[in-house]
Amino acid sequence: MSKAAVDLPPKGGFSFDLCKRNDMLAKQGLSGPSFRKTGTTIVGLIFQDGVILGADTRATEGPIVCDKNCEKIHYMAPNIYCCGAGTAADTEAVTDMVSSQLQLHRYHTGRESRVITALTLLKKHLFNYQGYVSAALVLGGVDCTGPHLHTIYPHGSTDTLPFATMGSGSLAAMAMFESKYKEGLSRDEGIQLVVEAICSGIFNDLGSGSNVDVCVITKGHKEYLRNHLLPNPRTYVNEKGYTFPKKIEVLMTKITPLKERVEIIETGDAMEE
Amino acid sequence: MGDSQYSFSLTTFSPSGKLVQIEHALTAVGSGQTSLGIKASNGVVIATEKKLPSILVDESSVQKIQCLTPNIGVVYSGMGPDFRVLVRKSRKQAEQYHRLYKEPIPVTQLVRETAAVMQEFTQSGGVRPFGVSLLVAGYDDNGPQLYQVDPSGSYFSWKASAMGKNVSNAKTFLEKRYTDDMELDDAVHTAILTLKEGFEGQISGKNIEIGIIGSDKKFRVLTPAEIDDYLAEVE
Repeated sequence: MSKAAVDLPPKGGFSFDLCKRNDMLAKQGLSGPSFRKTGTTIVGLIFQDGVILGADTRATEGPIVCDKNCEKIHYMAPNIYCCGAGTAADTEAVTDMVSSQLQLHRYHTGRESRVITALTLLKKHLFNYQGYVSAALVLGGVDCTGPHLHTIYPHGSTDTLPFATMGSGSLAAMAMFESKYKEGLSRDEGIQLVVEAICSGIFNDLGSGSNVDVCVITKGHKEYLRNHLLPNPRTYVNEKGYTFPKKIEVLMTKITPLKERVEIIETGDAMEE
Repeated sequence: MGDSQYSFSLTTFSPSGKLVQIEHALTAVGSGQTSLGIKASNGVVIATEKKLPSILVDESSVQKIQCLTPNIGVVYSGMGPDFRVLVRKSRKQAEQYHRLYKEPIPVTQLVRETAAVMQEFTQSGGVRPFGVSLLVAGYDDNGPQLYQVDPSGSYFSWKASAMGKNVSNAKTFLEKRYTDDMELDDAVHTAILTLKEGFEGQISGKNIEIGIIGSDKKFRVLTPAEIDDYLAEVE
Protein backbone atom coordinates (compact mmCIF):
# COMPACT_ATOMS: atom_id res chain seq x y z
CA MET A 1 0.00 0.00 0.00
CA SER A 2 1.62 3.27 -1.03
CA LYS A 3 1.88 6.08 1.45
CA ALA A 4 -1.09 8.42 1.10
CA ALA A 5 -0.11 11.82 -0.25
CA VAL A 6 0.43 13.97 2.79
CA ASP A 7 0.41 17.70 2.13
CA LEU A 8 4.06 18.67 2.13
CA PRO A 9 5.03 22.36 2.23
CA PRO A 10 6.69 23.48 -1.04
CA LYS A 11 10.42 22.70 -1.06
CA GLY A 12 12.33 25.93 -0.54
CA GLY A 13 15.52 27.14 -2.16
CA PHE A 14 16.44 29.20 -5.17
CA SER A 15 14.68 28.23 -8.40
CA PHE A 16 17.09 28.55 -11.31
CA ASP A 17 14.32 28.29 -13.91
CA LEU A 18 14.42 31.89 -15.07
CA CYS A 19 18.19 32.32 -15.27
CA LYS A 20 18.36 31.44 -18.96
CA ARG A 21 15.64 33.95 -19.76
CA ASN A 22 17.40 36.64 -17.73
CA ASP A 23 20.66 35.99 -19.57
CA MET A 24 18.88 36.32 -22.89
CA LEU A 25 17.24 39.59 -21.85
CA ALA A 26 20.54 40.97 -20.58
CA LYS A 27 22.15 40.18 -23.95
CA GLN A 28 19.35 42.09 -25.65
CA GLY A 29 20.20 45.11 -23.53
CA LEU A 30 17.67 45.04 -20.68
CA SER A 31 19.24 46.14 -17.37
CA GLY A 32 17.76 44.25 -14.47
CA PRO A 33 16.04 45.90 -11.46
CA SER A 34 18.40 47.03 -8.74
CA PHE A 35 17.94 45.62 -5.24
CA ARG A 36 18.46 47.06 -1.81
CA LYS A 37 22.11 46.62 -0.85
CA THR A 38 23.45 47.57 2.50
CA GLY A 39 26.65 49.23 1.18
CA THR A 40 28.10 49.08 4.61
CA THR A 41 30.96 49.08 6.95
CA ILE A 42 30.90 46.17 9.39
CA VAL A 43 33.71 45.31 11.79
CA GLY A 44 34.55 42.95 14.61
CA LEU A 45 37.40 42.57 17.02
CA ILE A 46 38.42 40.32 19.87
CA PHE A 47 39.27 42.05 23.13
CA GLN A 48 40.43 40.62 26.43
CA ASP A 49 37.00 39.47 27.70
CA GLY A 50 35.23 38.64 24.45
CA VAL A 51 34.12 40.05 21.11
CA ILE A 52 32.94 43.50 19.97
CA LEU A 53 30.97 43.88 16.75
CA GLY A 54 30.22 47.20 15.05
CA ALA A 55 28.20 48.34 12.06
CA ASP A 56 26.97 51.51 10.36
CA THR A 57 23.24 52.00 9.72
CA ARG A 58 22.80 53.10 6.11
CA ALA A 59 20.96 50.94 3.57
CA THR A 60 21.25 51.96 -0.11
CA GLU A 61 19.28 51.24 -3.27
CA GLY A 62 21.74 52.20 -5.96
CA PRO A 63 22.48 55.92 -5.35
CA ILE A 64 19.59 56.45 -2.94
CA VAL A 65 19.69 55.97 0.81
CA CYS A 66 16.58 53.90 1.47
CA ASP A 67 17.00 53.38 5.22
CA LYS A 68 18.88 55.89 7.35
CA ASN A 69 18.83 53.76 10.48
CA CYS A 70 18.67 50.08 9.67
CA GLU A 71 19.93 47.28 11.93
CA LYS A 72 22.84 45.33 10.54
CA ILE A 73 23.80 43.41 13.66
CA HIS A 74 21.61 40.30 13.66
CA TYR A 75 20.83 37.97 16.54
CA MET A 76 21.95 34.37 16.04
CA ALA A 77 21.98 32.96 19.58
CA PRO A 78 22.08 34.48 23.07
CA ASN A 79 25.88 34.38 22.85
CA ILE A 80 26.41 34.89 19.10
CA TYR A 81 25.70 37.91 16.88
CA CYS A 82 26.33 38.41 13.17
CA CYS A 83 26.86 41.60 11.12
CA GLY A 84 25.71 41.44 7.51
CA ALA A 85 26.84 43.26 4.37
CA GLY A 86 25.61 42.81 0.80
CA THR A 87 21.98 42.37 -0.21
CA ALA A 88 19.84 43.23 2.82
CA ALA A 89 17.23 40.53 2.11
CA ASP A 90 19.91 37.85 1.80
CA THR A 91 21.65 38.74 5.06
CA GLU A 92 18.33 38.91 6.94
CA ALA A 93 17.02 35.64 5.55
CA VAL A 94 20.20 33.64 6.00
CA THR A 95 20.86 34.84 9.57
CA ASP A 96 17.21 34.25 10.48
CA MET A 97 17.30 30.72 9.09
CA VAL A 98 20.55 29.76 10.82
CA SER A 99 19.31 31.32 14.07
CA SER A 100 16.26 29.02 13.87
CA GLN A 101 18.46 25.98 13.21
CA LEU A 102 20.69 26.88 16.16
CA GLN A 103 17.63 27.14 18.43
CA LEU A 104 16.48 23.64 17.45
CA HIS A 105 20.02 22.36 17.98
CA ARG A 106 20.05 23.90 21.46
CA TYR A 107 16.83 22.10 22.34
CA HIS A 108 18.16 18.78 21.15
CA THR A 109 21.56 19.01 22.83
CA GLY A 110 20.64 21.06 25.91
CA ARG A 111 23.83 23.10 25.48
CA GLU A 112 24.83 26.64 24.57
CA SER A 113 25.47 27.09 20.83
CA ARG A 114 29.05 27.30 19.60
CA VAL A 115 30.23 29.96 17.17
CA ILE A 116 31.79 27.32 14.95
CA THR A 117 28.36 25.64 14.61
CA ALA A 118 26.84 28.89 13.32
CA LEU A 119 29.86 29.31 11.03
CA THR A 120 29.50 25.86 9.48
CA LEU A 121 25.74 26.18 8.99
CA LEU A 122 26.19 29.55 7.27
CA LYS A 123 29.04 28.51 4.99
CA LYS A 124 27.27 25.31 3.94
CA HIS A 125 24.22 27.30 2.90
CA LEU A 126 26.19 29.98 1.06
CA PHE A 127 28.35 27.45 -0.78
CA ASN A 128 25.24 25.55 -1.84
CA TYR A 129 23.98 28.67 -3.61
CA GLN A 130 27.33 29.27 -5.30
CA GLY A 131 27.52 32.97 -4.40
CA TYR A 132 24.00 33.84 -5.57
CA VAL A 133 23.06 34.54 -1.95
CA SER A 134 24.91 37.81 -1.72
CA ALA A 135 25.68 37.91 2.00
CA ALA A 136 29.07 38.85 3.42
CA LEU A 137 29.05 38.32 7.18
CA VAL A 138 31.12 39.03 10.24
CA LEU A 139 30.20 36.44 12.86
CA GLY A 140 31.29 36.82 16.45
CA GLY A 141 30.49 35.26 19.81
CA VAL A 142 31.72 33.73 23.03
CA ASP A 143 31.11 30.08 23.83
CA CYS A 144 32.57 27.41 26.09
CA THR A 145 35.77 27.31 24.02
CA GLY A 146 36.35 31.06 24.24
CA PRO A 147 35.74 34.17 22.08
CA HIS A 148 35.63 33.68 18.30
CA LEU A 149 35.47 36.03 15.31
CA HIS A 150 34.95 34.88 11.71
CA THR A 151 34.27 36.44 8.31
CA ILE A 152 32.17 34.64 5.72
CA TYR A 153 32.21 35.50 2.02
CA PRO A 154 29.23 35.09 -0.33
CA HIS A 155 30.77 32.08 -2.04
CA GLY A 156 31.20 30.24 1.24
CA SER A 157 34.82 30.73 2.23
CA THR A 158 35.59 31.78 5.79
CA ASP A 159 38.42 33.38 7.77
CA THR A 160 39.13 33.30 11.46
CA LEU A 161 40.70 36.53 12.63
CA PRO A 162 41.39 38.65 15.73
CA PHE A 163 39.94 41.69 13.92
CA ALA A 164 37.93 41.87 10.69
CA THR A 165 36.07 44.28 8.44
CA MET A 166 33.64 43.71 5.55
CA GLY A 167 31.56 45.78 3.17
CA SER A 168 32.25 48.73 0.92
CA GLY A 169 33.80 50.67 3.80
CA SER A 170 36.03 47.78 4.84
CA LEU A 171 39.25 49.37 3.61
CA ALA A 172 38.62 52.60 5.51
CA ALA A 173 37.81 50.63 8.66
CA MET A 174 40.73 48.22 8.22
CA ALA A 175 43.11 51.18 8.01
CA MET A 176 42.05 52.16 11.56
CA PHE A 177 42.32 48.59 12.85
CA GLU A 178 45.71 47.92 11.30
CA SER A 179 47.23 50.97 12.88
CA LYS A 180 45.60 50.85 16.32
CA TYR A 181 44.73 47.23 17.13
CA LYS A 182 46.64 45.40 19.82
CA GLU A 183 45.95 42.24 21.80
CA GLY A 184 44.36 42.46 25.24
CA LEU A 185 42.30 45.60 24.69
CA SER A 186 39.99 46.57 27.52
CA ARG A 187 36.26 46.95 26.92
CA ASP A 188 36.33 50.75 26.61
CA GLU A 189 39.43 50.74 24.42
CA GLY A 190 37.79 48.11 22.21
CA ILE A 191 34.55 50.06 21.85
CA GLN A 192 36.53 53.22 21.11
CA LEU A 193 38.48 51.49 18.36
CA VAL A 194 35.37 49.94 16.81
CA VAL A 195 33.64 53.33 16.83
CA GLU A 196 36.66 54.94 15.18
CA ALA A 197 36.72 52.27 12.50
CA ILE A 198 33.00 52.60 11.72
CA CYS A 199 33.21 56.39 11.68
CA SER A 200 36.09 56.11 9.25
CA GLY A 201 33.81 54.06 7.01
CA ILE A 202 30.87 56.42 7.51
CA PHE A 203 32.79 59.54 6.55
CA ASN A 204 34.96 58.13 3.77
CA ASP A 205 32.65 55.67 2.00
CA LEU A 206 29.46 56.63 0.15
CA GLY A 207 27.82 53.29 0.82
CA SER A 208 28.06 53.74 4.60
CA GLY A 209 26.64 56.43 6.79
CA SER A 210 24.34 57.58 9.58
CA ASN A 211 24.88 56.02 13.00
CA VAL A 212 27.11 53.48 14.73
CA ASP A 213 25.73 50.28 16.28
CA VAL A 214 27.93 48.31 18.67
CA CYS A 215 27.47 44.90 20.24
CA VAL A 216 29.69 43.66 23.09
CA ILE A 217 29.64 39.92 23.83
CA THR A 218 31.41 38.43 26.85
CA LYS A 219 31.07 35.11 28.64
CA GLY A 220 27.48 34.83 29.81
CA HIS A 221 26.59 38.43 28.98
CA LYS A 222 25.88 40.58 25.94
CA GLU A 223 25.18 44.27 25.38
CA TYR A 224 23.54 45.47 22.20
CA LEU A 225 24.26 49.21 22.02
CA ARG A 226 21.89 50.30 19.30
CA ASN A 227 22.83 53.76 17.95
CA HIS A 228 25.77 53.98 20.32
CA LEU A 229 26.99 57.05 18.44
CA LEU A 230 25.03 59.46 16.29
CA PRO A 231 27.62 61.45 14.33
CA ASN A 232 25.12 62.63 11.69
CA PRO A 233 22.27 64.41 13.46
CA ARG A 234 19.91 66.74 11.59
CA THR A 235 20.93 70.01 13.15
CA TYR A 236 19.67 72.60 10.72
CA VAL A 237 16.09 73.75 11.21
CA ASN A 238 14.89 77.02 9.69
CA GLU A 239 13.52 79.22 12.54
CA LYS A 240 11.36 81.21 10.17
CA GLY A 241 9.39 78.09 9.42
CA TYR A 242 7.99 77.42 5.96
CA THR A 243 6.87 80.39 3.84
CA PHE A 244 5.06 80.14 0.55
CA PRO A 245 7.04 81.68 -2.32
CA LYS A 246 4.33 84.06 -3.62
CA LYS A 247 1.63 85.85 -1.68
CA ILE A 248 -1.14 83.29 -1.36
CA GLU A 249 -4.55 84.20 0.08
CA VAL A 250 -6.37 81.82 2.36
CA LEU A 251 -9.84 81.54 0.84
CA MET A 252 -11.44 78.91 3.09
CA THR A 253 -10.40 76.81 6.10
CA LYS A 254 -12.10 73.48 6.65
CA ILE A 255 -10.81 71.05 9.28
CA THR A 256 -12.17 67.50 9.17
CA PRO A 257 -11.20 65.39 12.20
CA LEU A 258 -10.37 61.84 11.08
CA LYS A 259 -12.85 59.38 12.58
CA GLU A 260 -12.11 55.73 13.20
CA ARG A 261 -13.04 53.81 10.07
CA VAL A 262 -13.44 50.52 11.92
CA GLU A 263 -16.56 49.86 13.96
CA ILE A 264 -15.82 47.76 16.99
CA ILE A 265 -18.68 45.48 18.00
CA GLU A 266 -18.14 44.73 21.69
CA THR A 267 -20.15 41.54 21.93
CA GLY A 268 -20.11 39.58 18.73
CA ASP A 269 -20.34 35.88 17.95
CA ALA A 270 -17.06 34.07 18.40
CA MET A 271 -15.56 32.82 15.16
CA GLU A 272 -16.29 29.16 14.55
CA GLU A 273 -13.13 27.12 15.02
CA MET B 1 -16.19 -11.14 17.57
CA GLY B 2 -15.77 -9.77 14.07
CA ASP B 3 -13.40 -7.16 15.44
CA SER B 4 -10.34 -9.37 15.60
CA GLN B 5 -10.55 -9.98 11.86
CA TYR B 6 -10.13 -6.25 11.32
CA SER B 7 -7.33 -5.60 13.72
CA PHE B 8 -4.53 -6.34 11.26
CA SER B 9 -4.64 -3.05 9.42
CA LEU B 10 -4.77 0.37 10.93
CA THR B 11 -6.58 1.97 8.08
CA THR B 12 -9.57 -0.33 8.10
CA PHE B 13 -12.63 0.32 10.24
CA SER B 14 -14.04 -2.59 12.20
CA PRO B 15 -17.78 -3.37 11.85
CA SER B 16 -18.43 -1.71 15.19
CA GLY B 17 -17.01 1.54 13.82
CA LYS B 18 -13.72 1.52 15.71
CA LEU B 19 -10.15 1.62 14.52
CA VAL B 20 -8.83 -1.25 16.56
CA GLN B 21 -5.19 -0.20 16.32
CA ILE B 22 -5.97 3.05 18.07
CA GLU B 23 -7.69 1.14 20.86
CA HIS B 24 -4.54 -0.97 21.19
CA ALA B 25 -2.42 2.18 21.23
CA LEU B 26 -4.52 3.52 24.10
CA THR B 27 -3.90 0.25 25.92
CA ALA B 28 -0.17 0.76 25.45
CA VAL B 29 -0.59 4.19 26.98
CA GLY B 30 -2.63 2.77 29.84
CA SER B 31 0.18 0.44 30.80
CA GLY B 32 2.76 3.21 30.81
CA GLN B 33 3.97 5.03 33.93
CA THR B 34 1.52 7.41 35.56
CA SER B 35 1.73 11.04 34.63
CA LEU B 36 -0.55 13.94 35.51
CA GLY B 37 -1.06 17.64 35.07
CA ILE B 38 -2.86 20.35 37.06
CA LYS B 39 -3.76 23.84 35.90
CA ALA B 40 -3.58 26.41 38.69
CA SER B 41 -4.78 29.99 38.60
CA ASN B 42 -1.27 31.31 38.01
CA GLY B 43 0.50 28.45 36.31
CA VAL B 44 0.54 24.76 35.34
CA VAL B 45 2.33 21.78 36.84
CA ILE B 46 3.01 18.44 35.13
CA ALA B 47 4.53 15.45 36.85
CA THR B 48 5.39 11.84 36.18
CA GLU B 49 6.84 8.75 37.83
CA LYS B 50 10.35 7.99 36.76
CA LYS B 51 10.71 4.29 37.51
CA LEU B 52 13.86 2.97 35.93
CA PRO B 53 14.21 -0.71 34.97
CA SER B 54 17.25 -1.19 37.19
CA ILE B 55 19.22 0.65 39.87
CA LEU B 56 22.19 0.56 37.52
CA VAL B 57 20.55 3.07 35.15
CA ASP B 58 21.96 6.60 35.48
CA GLU B 59 18.76 8.47 36.38
CA SER B 60 20.24 11.89 35.57
CA SER B 61 20.45 10.89 31.90
CA VAL B 62 16.73 10.21 31.67
CA GLN B 63 14.47 13.20 31.26
CA LYS B 64 10.81 12.45 30.69
CA ILE B 65 9.56 16.02 30.87
CA GLN B 66 10.74 18.05 27.89
CA CYS B 67 10.60 21.70 26.90
CA LEU B 68 9.05 22.46 23.49
CA THR B 69 9.39 26.25 23.59
CA PRO B 70 10.51 28.50 26.45
CA ASN B 71 6.87 28.69 27.60
CA ILE B 72 5.53 25.22 26.73
CA GLY B 73 6.48 21.89 28.29
CA VAL B 74 5.27 18.33 27.74
CA VAL B 75 5.14 14.98 29.55
CA TYR B 76 3.94 11.59 28.33
CA SER B 77 2.67 8.16 29.25
CA GLY B 78 3.50 5.23 27.01
CA MET B 79 6.43 4.52 24.70
CA GLY B 80 9.46 6.70 25.28
CA PRO B 81 10.94 6.47 21.75
CA ASP B 82 7.63 7.58 20.18
CA PHE B 83 7.65 10.54 22.55
CA ARG B 84 11.13 11.59 21.41
CA VAL B 85 10.01 11.66 17.78
CA LEU B 86 6.95 13.77 18.61
CA VAL B 87 9.00 16.19 20.68
CA ARG B 88 11.41 16.67 17.79
CA LYS B 89 8.60 17.32 15.32
CA SER B 90 6.78 19.70 17.68
CA ARG B 91 9.91 21.72 18.38
CA LYS B 92 10.50 22.11 14.67
CA GLN B 93 6.89 23.21 14.09
CA ALA B 94 7.09 25.75 16.90
CA GLU B 95 10.32 27.12 15.46
CA GLN B 96 8.84 27.33 11.93
CA TYR B 97 5.84 29.22 13.29
CA HIS B 98 8.15 31.62 15.06
CA ARG B 99 10.19 32.21 11.92
CA LEU B 100 7.10 32.97 9.88
CA TYR B 101 5.11 35.12 12.32
CA LYS B 102 7.90 36.36 14.60
CA GLU B 103 5.81 35.60 17.69
CA PRO B 104 5.99 32.66 20.12
CA ILE B 105 3.55 29.96 19.07
CA PRO B 106 0.31 29.97 21.11
CA VAL B 107 -0.26 26.74 23.09
CA THR B 108 -3.45 25.84 21.19
CA GLN B 109 -1.67 26.10 17.84
CA LEU B 110 1.18 23.86 18.89
CA VAL B 111 -1.22 21.29 20.34
CA ARG B 112 -3.26 21.38 17.15
CA GLU B 113 -0.22 20.82 14.97
CA THR B 114 1.11 18.00 17.15
CA ALA B 115 -2.32 16.38 17.12
CA ALA B 116 -2.38 16.69 13.33
CA VAL B 117 0.92 14.78 13.14
CA MET B 118 -0.47 12.05 15.37
CA GLN B 119 -3.61 11.85 13.24
CA GLU B 120 -1.53 11.55 10.06
CA PHE B 121 -0.06 8.35 11.39
CA THR B 122 -3.55 6.89 11.83
CA GLN B 123 -4.49 7.45 8.22
CA SER B 124 -1.34 6.64 6.26
CA GLY B 125 -0.21 3.32 4.92
CA GLY B 126 2.61 1.35 6.37
CA VAL B 127 2.84 3.27 9.64
CA ARG B 128 1.44 2.69 13.10
CA PRO B 129 -0.09 5.17 15.56
CA PHE B 130 2.13 6.70 18.24
CA GLY B 131 1.95 4.75 21.49
CA VAL B 132 1.91 7.85 23.70
CA SER B 133 -0.54 10.29 25.17
CA LEU B 134 0.85 13.75 25.83
CA LEU B 135 0.10 16.33 28.47
CA VAL B 136 1.09 19.75 27.13
CA ALA B 137 1.44 22.55 29.68
CA GLY B 138 1.91 26.13 28.58
CA TYR B 139 1.43 29.75 29.54
CA ASP B 140 0.73 32.34 26.85
CA ASP B 141 -1.48 35.40 26.36
CA ASN B 142 -4.56 33.32 27.12
CA GLY B 143 -3.17 32.37 30.52
CA PRO B 144 -2.15 28.94 31.82
CA GLN B 145 -3.33 25.98 29.74
CA LEU B 146 -3.18 22.18 29.97
CA TYR B 147 -3.98 19.90 27.03
CA GLN B 148 -4.07 16.15 26.66
CA VAL B 149 -3.37 14.65 23.21
CA ASP B 150 -4.25 11.02 22.48
CA PRO B 151 -2.78 8.59 19.91
CA SER B 152 -5.83 9.15 17.71
CA GLY B 153 -4.98 12.83 17.43
CA SER B 154 -7.86 14.10 19.54
CA TYR B 155 -7.04 16.71 22.13
CA PHE B 156 -8.87 18.21 25.06
CA SER B 157 -8.16 21.04 27.42
CA TRP B 158 -8.18 19.95 31.05
CA LYS B 159 -8.17 21.61 34.43
CA ALA B 160 -6.47 18.51 35.80
CA SER B 161 -5.82 15.16 34.18
CA ALA B 162 -3.92 11.92 34.62
CA MET B 163 -2.79 9.12 32.26
CA GLY B 164 -1.09 5.76 32.38
CA LYS B 165 -1.36 3.11 35.07
CA ASN B 166 -3.61 3.93 37.98
CA VAL B 167 -5.42 6.57 35.96
CA SER B 168 -8.87 6.05 37.50
CA ASN B 169 -7.62 6.38 41.09
CA ALA B 170 -5.56 9.40 40.18
CA LYS B 171 -8.48 11.10 38.43
CA THR B 172 -10.81 10.45 41.36
CA PHE B 173 -8.23 11.90 43.72
CA LEU B 174 -7.81 14.96 41.50
CA GLU B 175 -11.57 15.49 41.21
CA LYS B 176 -11.82 15.63 44.97
CA ARG B 177 -8.83 17.87 45.48
CA TYR B 178 -9.09 20.31 42.58
CA THR B 179 -10.26 23.87 43.24
CA ASP B 180 -10.48 26.64 40.66
CA ASP B 181 -8.49 29.15 42.67
CA MET B 182 -5.57 26.87 43.42
CA GLU B 183 -2.16 28.49 43.29
CA LEU B 184 0.90 26.95 41.68
CA ASP B 185 2.49 25.77 44.94
CA ASP B 186 -0.75 24.10 46.07
CA ALA B 187 -0.97 22.46 42.67
CA VAL B 188 2.55 21.03 43.06
CA HIS B 189 1.62 19.59 46.46
CA THR B 190 -1.56 18.08 45.05
CA ALA B 191 0.40 16.58 42.17
CA ILE B 192 2.87 14.98 44.55
CA LEU B 193 0.07 13.58 46.72
CA THR B 194 -1.67 12.14 43.64
CA LEU B 195 1.53 10.44 42.49
CA LYS B 196 2.13 9.12 46.00
CA GLU B 197 -1.31 7.42 45.98
CA GLY B 198 -0.32 4.80 43.45
CA PHE B 199 3.43 4.80 44.05
CA GLU B 200 5.13 1.50 44.80
CA GLY B 201 8.11 2.03 47.04
CA GLN B 202 9.65 5.11 48.56
CA ILE B 203 8.91 8.35 46.70
CA SER B 204 11.85 10.77 46.40
CA GLY B 205 13.26 13.51 44.19
CA LYS B 206 15.08 10.86 42.15
CA ASN B 207 12.10 8.79 41.05
CA ILE B 208 9.61 11.46 40.10
CA GLU B 209 9.90 14.39 37.70
CA ILE B 210 8.00 17.67 38.00
CA GLY B 211 7.82 20.53 35.52
CA ILE B 212 6.23 23.89 36.27
CA ILE B 213 5.42 27.07 34.44
CA GLY B 214 4.36 30.20 36.29
CA SER B 215 3.32 33.72 35.37
CA ASP B 216 6.91 34.39 34.31
CA LYS B 217 6.07 32.19 31.27
CA LYS B 218 9.25 30.15 31.61
CA PHE B 219 8.87 26.40 31.65
CA ARG B 220 11.38 24.56 33.79
CA VAL B 221 11.94 21.11 35.21
CA LEU B 222 12.49 21.05 38.98
CA THR B 223 15.81 19.69 40.24
CA PRO B 224 15.74 16.61 42.52
CA ALA B 225 16.69 18.88 45.44
CA GLU B 226 13.68 21.14 44.83
CA ILE B 227 11.40 18.10 44.58
CA ASP B 228 12.75 16.82 47.89
CA ASP B 229 11.89 20.22 49.45
CA TYR B 230 8.30 19.97 48.20
CA LEU B 231 8.12 16.37 49.45
CA ALA B 232 9.24 17.49 52.89
CA GLU B 233 6.51 20.16 52.89
CA VAL B 234 3.92 17.56 51.99
CA GLU B 235 4.90 15.22 54.83
